[in-house]
Amino acid sequence: MPEFIETLYDCYGQVFRIDEKLHEIKTDHQHLIIFHNAAFGRVMALDGIIQTTEKDEFIYHEMLAHVPILSHGNAKRVLIVGGGDGGMLREVIRHRSVEDITQVEIDRQVIDLCREYLPNHSRGAFDDHRVNIVIDDGLNFVRTTPERFDVIISDSTDPIGPGETLFSQDFYAACRRCLRPGGILTTQNGVFFMQKEEVATTARRMARVFDDWHFFAAAIPTYIGGIMAFGWGTDNPALRRTGLDILAARYRQSGIATRYYNPEVHRAAFALPQYMLEAIGKATNE
Amino acid sequence: MNNLLYASYAHGARYRRYVQAHGAPLLILDARKVEAQYRALKKALPATDLYYAIKSLPHPAILEMLAGLGAGFDLASSGEIALVRERQVSPRRTLHSHPIKRDRDIRDALRFGCTTFVVDNTDELLKFLPYKHRVGLLLRISFRSRAAVVDLSKKFGCAVSEVPGMLTLAARLGIHIKGLCFHVGSQCLDTKQQVDAIHTCNTLIRQHRDTGAAPISMLDIGGGFPIAYDGKPLDIDRYCAPIRRALVELPPHVSVVAEPGRFISGPAMTCVATVIGKAWRDGHYWYYLDDGVYGSFSGQLFDHMRYPLELFSDDERRFPSVLAGPTCDSIDVIAEDIPLPELHLGDVVVGHMMGAYTAASATRFNSLENARVIVVNAHPGEADASGEVPMKAGSSDAAGGASRFVH
Repeated sequence: MPEFIETLYDCYGQVFRIDEKLHEIKTDHQHLIIFHNAAFGRVMALDGIIQTTEKDEFIYHEMLAHVPILSHGNAKRVLIVGGGDGGMLREVIRHRSVEDITQVEIDRQVIDLCREYLPNHSRGAFDDHRVNIVIDDGLNFVRTTPERFDVIISDSTDPIGPGETLFSQDFYAACRRCLRPGGILTTQNGVFFMQKEEVATTARRMARVFDDWHFFAAAIPTYIGGIMAFGWGTDNPALRRTGLDILAARYRQSGIATRYYNPEVHRAAFALPQYMLEAIGKATNE
Repeated sequence: MNNLLYASYAHGARYRRYVQAHGAPLLILDARKVEAQYRALKKALPATDLYYAIKSLPHPAILEMLAGLGAGFDLASSGEIALVRERQVSPRRTLHSHPIKRDRDIRDALRFGCTTFVVDNTDELLKFLPYKHRVGLLLRISFRSRAAVVDLSKKFGCAVSEVPGMLTLAARLGIHIKGLCFHVGSQCLDTKQQVDAIHTCNTLIRQHRDTGAAPISMLDIGGGFPIAYDGKPLDIDRYCAPIRRALVELPPHVSVVAEPGRFISGPAMTCVATVIGKAWRDGHYWYYLDDGVYGSFSGQLFDHMRYPLELFSDDERRFPSVLAGPTCDSIDVIAEDIPLPELHLGDVVVGHMMGAYTAASATRFNSLENARVIVVNAHPGEADASGEVPMKAGSSDAAGGASRFVH
């Protein structure tokens, strides 16, 4: 039977049986394949790298969306950069308190194909009246937009490819510029054990523009190699230290049912192991 | 000196029919020949994975045929990556062999999914620091060859004495060097240099293992497999025997790959040019063809090869002649002072074994069109891709048919 072999690393990788290939296309920006795998459901890969699967996407999307929104406590305006599969949008619109969501995606075809072949990711989120979809380069958008946001979520691809600029100093600085006071940027930063240098580079760049920066983590099975790092940057150091009771109250109030996220996981996710702290140049998790 | 083959006028009929059907100049690519060459080399080196050097002839038909046969691909540029990507070749069956790369080239290859790269110096090694967890590198070593028509160890490759230092530096930086590679040259007429290079690499691999470092598990022996431009029979199995014996001595964990280009593409393409002008000058017939050294015969300059030429005439007389190309430049001469039967306007002149480094390096000087490539025998059982003129299997072989060598 046909197989999908991920080509991220030379000497290590994961293989999926392709039980049914649903779609394959080379868009203007990337090579996309969507197939069904018995263990992970529908799977999407871009440029040979697994982006998302139906079975484990909830971990990624819940953490990257709910951690900043519930830390913030009063997020009205949210910007999603990337995230063409719609999973992030689905999680964000579940917060009734969020009034307005802008999503900037470079590749319209990714949105169209995911709506068709990964409908469980967006579950109609693209049709929510609060949502504004912009087809543009993410860096260009944050550089030029006059709008301001409470939360920015960078749901990018790997740093090699169209997602490259979403890991640049310019991008972090431009995000800082379009955050309201007390606003938070969270970013997808790869699997730390395998991409330590890339996380360390992000740490240096974040440190230049944010008063408070750190990473939080979660293990997503198909992002192989251990825990995935999520970047965190804000001008308000208190947000990262929001107490468990406050998070629990906000979580209850939101009425959102989650499968991975809970307030205890939220707090614990910021506790980085020693090898990560060393790589990002911090002595402690404080 | 180009080998000259004289055949009867009737024998040129099928080439004339090709020209009638498709115009001139033409390049006829025989996919069945590609398959035969690949299988012959695979049989001669059964334990070696063959990565076709795309640069020698980057034609889609050859890539498709080889992909179907399970070959790998040796890439050297982002443009070549685009070619294999379009053919849906697994990036796991590719390696990037250019020793000098820009950051953009590395990123393009990684994005495609090619994770094997070649380095031969410290600066190049340092370029991989940001990607060190993704890649497996081959360290290219220089072994100069006098037997190679094209020496490929002058421009690239580190000295044998530098290898331990490079391996140590890479280990300290955390960059994985998984193998060694060399390229003694192209069109190597004997195997002594390859055999010596394999022995030296064997020693380096064993010495490195003795240091307790991570194992070197791959050896890329490059290309250099020759083809018979001079018409003398060339038995690739016998040619490879000393290489096979040398490879057997490697530690069993070492996988071996080779990068044949010319051997696979060279014999697979035939050039058909026609006489478009004729003059008598200084005791010579000058024939002006519609293809020349700025076009398909560019390999005579860049690649230093001389292709067997076949003429078709029933006239037994020979006259001192010159075959010139179509451009205005006086360097555009294919062969000088050769004994030819008298040719006439419209006659065909056929160049055999013109697949490697010919169309690949043709220019558009004088704004002339490059020769059109037509593919024959692309699918098993198919009589002919042109649908008009059947081409007998093997009849494009320079040594075949009624032709005979005179030089």
